[in-house]
Amino acid sequence: MPLDKFTPIQRFAAYACDKPFDRLPCVPIIGNTAARVIGVKVSQLRTDAALLAKAQIDSYRKFGYDVVRVFTDLYVIGEAMGAKIRIPDDETAYLETPVLHDIADIHKLRPANPHRDGILPLQLEAMRRVVGEIGAEVPVTGALTCPFTNASFLIGAEPLARLLLKNPEAVHKLCRISLESAIAYADAIIETGCTPSLTDAMSSSTVISPRQFREFSLPYLKELINHINSYGKKVTLHICGKTRPIWSDMADTGAVCLSLDNDADLSEAKQSIGQRVRLMGNVPPAAVMLQGTLEEVRQAVFAVARKAWDNPKGLIVASGCSLPTETPFANITAMMDAVRELSWPIRKELLS
Amino acid sequence: MSINQQELFQRLADAVVNMEETLAAELSREAVASGMDAYQAIEQGLVAGMSRAGDLFEQEEYFIPELLMCSDAMYAGLEILKPHLKTDALADRPKIVIGVVEGDTHDIGKNLVKIMLESSGFELIDLGRDIPPAAFVDKAAEINAQIIALSTLMTTTMDGMGEVIKILKERGLREKVKVMIGGGPISQQFADRIGADGYSANAAGAVRLAKKLVGLEA
Repeated sequence: MPLDKFTPIQRFAAYACDKPFDRLPCVPIIGNTAARVIGVKVSQLRTDAALLAKAQIDSYRKFGYDVVRVFTDLYVIGEAMGAKIRIPDDETAYLETPVLHDIADIHKLRPANPHRDGILPLQLEAMRRVVGEIGAEVPVTGALTCPFTNASFLIGAEPLARLLLKNPEAVHKLCRISLESAIAYADAIIETGCTPSLTDAMSSSTVISPRQFREFSLPYLKELINHINSYGKKVTLHICGKTRPIWSDMADTGAVCLSLDNDADLSEAKQSIGQRVRLMGNVPPAAVMLQGTLEEVRQAVFAVARKAWDNPKGLIVASGCSLPTETPFANITAMMDAVRELSWPIRKELLS
Repeated sequence: MSINQQELFQRLADAVVNMEETLAAELSREAVASGMDAYQAIEQGLVAGMSRAGDLFEQEEYFIPELLMCSDAMYAGLEILKPHLKTDALADRPKIVIGVVEGDTHDIGKNLVKIMLESSGFELIDLGRDIPPAAFVDKAAEINAQIIALSTLMTTTMDGMGEVIKILKERGLREKVKVMIGGGPISQQFADRIGADGYSANAAGAVRLAKKLVGLEA
């Protein structure tokens, strides 16, 4: 029996043109928790497209959320360009060593070929399978790491931070070649029937200044999103941590939806950019989703709705960032149930 | 203190704030050559500069790139001044074992906290990144550290922090070693839940917290 009256695609369509629908869209951003859903090791999702697809499909079917994202970790483009990734048996993979030890070797970098390099072909195969199976009822996206963040996997986060001040031209080169890789991968993702889902952790105002963001990250984000938009695909952009100083710039990228971390105040975001973009967020992934009680999850969902249910361009109730792998299923269900309880038109008495 | 000396320390501090690594090294050599006290040059020059850089970071005038460059200037000066410390002026500083918990290799935040703590009178033992919980406890016991400082940027690795506290308890060390935690996904709520002694959202706060934990400041 279906969990909701509307499929996610029907729900988004009705929401977009103000027709009746059942509840706000809701996305607990599932990462490797999907491995838990099908009872496999996290590392297996990186080596088997069929498993990666099955994990995402089963997870969607179990919880009934509104956007599916094929994702293992942020490093797949960096890896395809030569970064060394450590793959623990049952935890999320991470960067072991960047591609370059010395920026003088920058000329050795080549853009990734998504049909050949690293595990990009595996990711694409998984995307194809997920779209084939559930693409008719739910938007299926493929995770895409943005140029500035990928640049940090090419040279390392701290060296990149120093280069911003010491050798800006090198940073632009790293971002440019990362953009080339990202565009090639975006094309391949779109070919599978998915929409790229953009993540740009390093562009956070927790890391770099808004001025540095505008100089080194924004131009490449714009190019990437313009490119994706040229296919008629609409983009969600996620930047972790603090983003308030760059909200307006994020809205300028051409993304239709901004996914904000729990650092953001959604009522402020609504005032600032709600006329221009849909907001997605921002139940705390760790403090609430991983560790909270069912009631805390419910209240956190209500708090999000209270701040932004009337956002002019719409709201997706979501976790602020990817969920920790060990997030209890019960909390994910509680998140979905809270949105179902809120219903639509929203039951305002629950928000007071 | 002579005017010259005061001026030189001021210029040293400025060199750190202005991210001038070469100048910081030059001025440090000048301080040594003119027989100034290395400890004072460190404290009133380099450390004072780093502290101002920390303030700018907290005020969001500086961000991670600037703070890293300031620390490069500070360390360039330290390298020159340290061998000239008269007595072992840095010997009795409270010890902190710091590292990034297992499964996480994002060490940029940890490195910033380390820099700020090091320039605030603590001795830091940096275990690096992707560190198993027991290793923190082993090291703290071995060197008689007063604080273990843990960081993670990943929600996926936070459990390791609770594990460190559990191991401290098991070994009967919980009363001796304070645990402070930080990093993107960490909150005061999380710190309370796992029973940590303190949480800080940023590097400047980490300094205040560490001082409080060892009783250097109220």
